[in-house]
Amino acid sequence: MSVKRTAAVCCLGLLAVSGCGRELSSTKKLAFITNNAADFWTIARKGTEKADAGLADVAVEFRLGDGTAAAQKRILDDLLAKGVDGIAISPVDPANQTAMLNYAAKQALVFTHDSDAPDSRRECYVGTDNVAAGRQAGDLIKEALPQGGRIAVFVGKLDARNAQERLQGIKESLTGSTIAIIDVRTDDTDQVRAKANVSEMLVSHPDVSALVGLWSYNGPAILNAVRDASRIGQVKIIAFDEDDETLSGVKSGAIVGTVVQQPYEFGFQSVTLLEKALKGDRSGIPPGRQVFIPTRVIRQNNVDEFKTSLAQLRGR
Amino acid sequence: MKKELATFALLVVLCAIVTVLNPRFVSAANLQNTARLIGAFGIVSLGLGLVIIAGGIDLSVGSAFALLGVLLSIMLTEWHVAWPAAVLIMLALGALIGAIHGWLITRLGLQPFIVTLCGLLLYRGLARFIADDETKGFGDAAGFETLQRLASGSLFHVPTPFVALVVVSVVMWVVLHRSVYGRHLYATGRNETAATYSGVNARRVVVSAYVILGVLTGVAAIVFAFYTNSISPSSHGNFFELYAIAAAVLGGCSLRGGEGSVVGILLGTTLLQVLQNLVNLLGIPSSLNFAVMGGVILIGVVGDQVLQRRAAGVRAQ
Repeated sequence: MSVKRTAAVCCLGLLAVSGCGRELSSTKKLAFITNNAADFWTIARKGTEKADAGLADVAVEFRLGDGTAAAQKRILDDLLAKGVDGIAISPVDPANQTAMLNYAAKQALVFTHDSDAPDSRRECYVGTDNVAAGRQAGDLIKEALPQGGRIAVFVGKLDARNAQERLQGIKESLTGSTIAIIDVRTDDTDQVRAKANVSEMLVSHPDVSALVGLWSYNGPAILNAVRDASRIGQVKIIAFDEDDETLSGVKSGAIVGTVVQQPYEFGFQSVTLLEKALKGDRSGIPPGRQVFIPTRVIRQNNVDEFKTSLAQLRGR
Repeated sequence: MKKELATFALLVVLCAIVTVLNPRFVSAANLQNTARLIGAFGIVSLGLGLVIIAGGIDLSVGSAFALLGVLLSIMLTEWHVAWPAAVLIMLALGALIGAIHGWLITRLGLQPFIVTLCGLLLYRGLARFIADDETKGFGDAAGFETLQRLASGSLFHVPTPFVALVVVSVVMWVVLHRSVYGRHLYATGRNETAATYSGVNARRVVVSAYVILGVLTGVAAIVFAFYTNSISPSSHGNFFELYAIAAAVLGGCSLRGGEGSVVGILLGTTLLQVLQNLVNLLGIPSSLNFAVMGGVILIGVVGDQVLQRRAAGVRAQ
């Protein structure tokens, strides 16, 4: 291609881009960025889509992270270059992403969801109060072990904020009871290791009376390991999130209960509140700048109803 | 044989220490758990060891586990493919992946590292796309309970993956150490040009090594899929290729090719799994898991090197 033709094509391209910009200037461009790729976000996506469909002047872009801060930085830079108006992001590493969020906040309205970065200039946080969720799990543990006992906790990474907060909530709830946490084992999100950790816990501490999984895949990992060791019923299981196997375990009674978040609401509320705030209506943002979506406890008695509504949300 | 002896000694010392500190290490339940994992990791380590002996490398194994696992779940639970057919398809797909790697490396002359690095990215992406970023599982295995039992059950209290590893090991031992093909494999790995001039079809040898690794990857993928009973496409099998490479190198394989043995690879795999097991049994904080693994491997490799130098020195005198 000759230099002249290249130049001409570039000019045309620029014209087209600037033309588009003017044409769509009334539409607010919003983006919803996740921390990684998981089923959880499939449900959140439905929430953003529902909100998007209900709002005429909004276009929502849904972007999946890959679990690293680097990927989020790249996604954020792309979006800012495209002239996004509002962003809802679940920061992977809030403490060290503050500068990135502040930079984004200069050019767009920034919300955090799922995981908060309270020290940044984000406008609002939409998500779970993980300490409260931990307390709910703690209550389930106390209910399962009225005589007290020793429990072990399993999670992917303990340096993740939600893991720490859930653990803190559990500890708060168990204070004053006769239940002791003997260990917290991590698996770096390797599911083979997650299950092996449980099997090995059952060997090294045969007296353990309850096992708690803080992340979604920990529930099934615990369930499978306890089943392999033929100790279903003897060892109580408490889980978080709504993995299919976890729900089957709750239904069969092998799992006492699971504490679930409402990712659909993360998506729906983030988009709705962003749109309102961009229009100048900040009534939806509380003074504390945190919108907590309550967590629910799913047990044998309400698991069917929950499964049905979940299937609808996932479109299955 | 020296190298295997060093690894074996390290393994025995380690097991003895752990048994003293926590006698439950040798309890039936713990031996079964560990044997199951040794079986699963050992099968793929043997395949990767073969490729390393032939002078290659494969970084895509972990991602292939995710891709094959996702496909297995879809075939069994959504398409209701008969399980023997599904197993054959898995093995065929593994072989196909291996054949493509081998073809790109031998015919186009690409570096094994880059070919399989692309595989690592490609298969992970495909797995996530096919699964629509959702976790795939097997539920209660309705309709393929036999496969579930074969992949994750026990035979006279011995976990089936370990039984499979024993069978694969015997076959691999004969192939590597008692066959013409084995000789060709070592010759190719040590010096491909020299092997070619000696009449060895080096290209075919290399391709076959990747195909064998592919088939074993298919077998291990089934075992891992039923071990976790669910496959999260973004994390399933992450870093597993590194465990397999570490096991092979720890067992005496040289990354320059032409060196290694079946017994060594088995010892390396066992050592790696025992290391992870002891972290849990001795209640060492999980955060130190990788540090313990890295530290002990380093001790093994340093010890091996010192012994070899000394032996070489003795010979020189």
